[in-house]
Amino acid sequence: MIQFAVYGKGGIGKSTTASNISAALAEAGLTVMQIGCDPKADSTAALLGGRRLDTVIDLIRDRGRAIPLEDMAVRGYKGVICVETGGPTPGLGCAGRAITAALETLKDKNAWEVFAPDVVIYDVLGDVVCGGFSVPMRTGYAGKVFILTSGENMAIHAGANIALAVRNFQDRGYASLGGIILNRRNVKNEDEKVAELASDIGAKLVGSLSRSDTVPDAEELGKTVIEAFPDSEMARQYRTLARAVLAECGGEVTMPEC
Amino acid sequence: MLTRVGQEAVDGLTTVTAAEAAFPAPFAAQLEYAAPARGTWNIVHTGMLLPESHQIFVCAAGCLRGVVLTAAEMGAMDRFSTVAIRENNVLDGDMEELIIDGVTDILQKLPAMPRAVLIYTSCIHHFMACDLPRVYGVLRARFPGVAFADCYMNPILRKSGLTPDQLMRRQLYSLLEARPIDPASVNILGSDLPTDPDADFVRLIRESGHTLRDIAACRSYDEYQAMAGSFLNVTTYPSARAGGETLSERLGQKHLYLPNAYDFDEIEQGLRTLAGELGAVYPGSGSRRSAADEALKRARSAVGGREVAIDYTAVSRPLQLAKLLTEYGFSVTDVFVDAIPAEDKPSLEWLKENLPALRLHPTVHPAMRVRARQTEKPALAIGQKAAYFTGTDRFVNIVEDGGLHGFGGIRKLAALLEEAAAVPKDTRRLIQIKGLGCSGGCCG
Repeated sequence: MIQFAVYGKGGIGKSTTASNISAALAEAGLTVMQIGCDPKADSTAALLGGRRLDTVIDLIRDRGRAIPLEDMAVRGYKGVICVETGGPTPGLGCAGRAITAALETLKDKNAWEVFAPDVVIYDVLGDVVCGGFSVPMRTGYAGKVFILTSGENMAIHAGANIALAVRNFQDRGYASLGGIILNRRNVKNEDEKVAELASDIGAKLVGSLSRSDTVPDAEELGKTVIEAFPDSEMARQYRTLARAVLAECGGEVTMPEC
Repeated sequence: MLTRVGQEAVDGLTTVTAAEAAFPAPFAAQLEYAAPARGTWNIVHTGMLLPESHQIFVCAAGCLRGVVLTAAEMGAMDRFSTVAIRENNVLDGDMEELIIDGVTDILQKLPAMPRAVLIYTSCIHHFMACDLPRVYGVLRARFPGVAFADCYMNPILRKSGLTPDQLMRRQLYSLLEARPIDPASVNILGSDLPTDPDADFVRLIRESGHTLRDIAACRSYDEYQAMAGSFLNVTTYPSARAGGETLSERLGQKHLYLPNAYDFDEIEQGLRTLAGELGAVYPGSGSRRSAADEALKRARSAVGGREVAIDYTAVSRPLQLAKLLTEYGFSVTDVFVDAIPAEDKPSLEWLKENLPALRLHPTVHPAMRVRARQTEKPALAIGQKAAYFTGTDRFVNIVEDGGLHGFGGIRKLAALLEEAAAVPKDTRRLIQIKGLGCSGGCCG
């Protein structure tokens, strides 16, 4: 089983990218589980026709921890197992604690053994602001962390902070840095700025995605690009990225077309 | 004569009849009160059962008070240390390092290295998602000769998942290391008090040629480790079940839950089941059953028409005991129980039919603080909380079934009832002492 996490600044496109990677890998025949670790709980919407899941935290809040595993996960496009940890009301509660509680509950229910996924993707909110947000990169969870960034300064800054957190945890045996994914916003000197970030943090650029209207068009339909526009250039880019990310994690997959 | 104001209202808040009682929660959960009856064991007492061990509590200074007092009262401060968390540890994010450095410092300063260390982390570690497996990994690498057990003082878990009591009774055995299974060896698991040698199941185990192991009787860490070889774990206390189930998965030991019963047929059935597990022939209860029957009749005669009150800290199945005593003609009037154990559900049904006016009271409801602690005539109480809430000096001073079990247990309990009816006790003094029967000799 390969497990990796996608971190990056809020709004940079983590959920869209994670969902398209999930869809591409599932389409190639792998069993994929995507765990959204964000109180917004919209990581997996594009895999579920735009539908929002009941989050693990909402279920715990309503019914305690005796919730059956099947209520915490829903099968989406091509059987992708979709889970949303959820979180507290914005401005109240502790989002980090919510991620921890949700992942602990999934572990208690042996979710990994029961679903037996080939690939688990953690889509993690923004920055590593507290201990809870580092849980997906701990032993037993993601083995690699991929930083999604554009050439925008705030995204690069967040990427550098995430890399620092990953480096700080190296001696603990946590996840290592898998690389950088460039999600283009077409800002000035974008490639150079991201290359500089990669150089500064000692990471490899594992893939890049163009800025394209195909992506919001698919989102409008409540679908991933892979599902909505399988023959598009963006679908090709996501498949290429999925294969590259998997290769960084030591996996291999044959894609229909890259 | 002065009368407490609003007793009627207080009674209404703190009393339901058996006929009205909902299962399993006859009273709504809310702010809780703790009666000053302290004979029940806590996580410090239970942890101290592990020979050659040292306890380290890591929490905010304000939370340490109770556990420090327990250890001091036990005379066990030489086996007890603390690490205090301050706000800067939260702000600096060095909560994990604090445990590692604190425990290291303590162990280096002890006169001798303990065989085992129980580290009690607290709710702040839980909230902050501290990576405890990493902490224990570092400590185990640093002190390879010491076995570290993760224990918890985490009150926010009181009502979700395993309770602190269940966790403690499970974690106490988490250090047992797998070894070849010995078919001639059986454990009693998760009982704080040594089980009475006259308990029927203890006799059955011994008389069928098996060696009985019990942490309450262990004098060394090696004796404790020998428990890992027993083929069967017998648990009798409801909170011990999770520990038994965990060891079945981890060490491959069989687990038999043999809840203490105050019902002759159930005792008999339990003994038959145990005999089957032991590969022994059950000799039948015969004279032991009739001895229990006669003892109860004698006790009934001694107690007379005195009202009897029972609490859940004294016996694990207070409603089944209420049923048994009622069947023998005792005037059981009050049971103090916050939640009805699953094992007591059939007895509740029986009481609804046969003793519908039996009064059930919570022990933690805030109104219990102001409830009148006296009865018209002095009651006979079974348990410290029942004694406290009824204001009586006639009580049976036991916790957790007092180590009694089966027909032998009923016979001894009947004798204790006789004694309690005849000899007054200094209730105020006795119930203030923590951990009745604990090994520190702190209790009367």
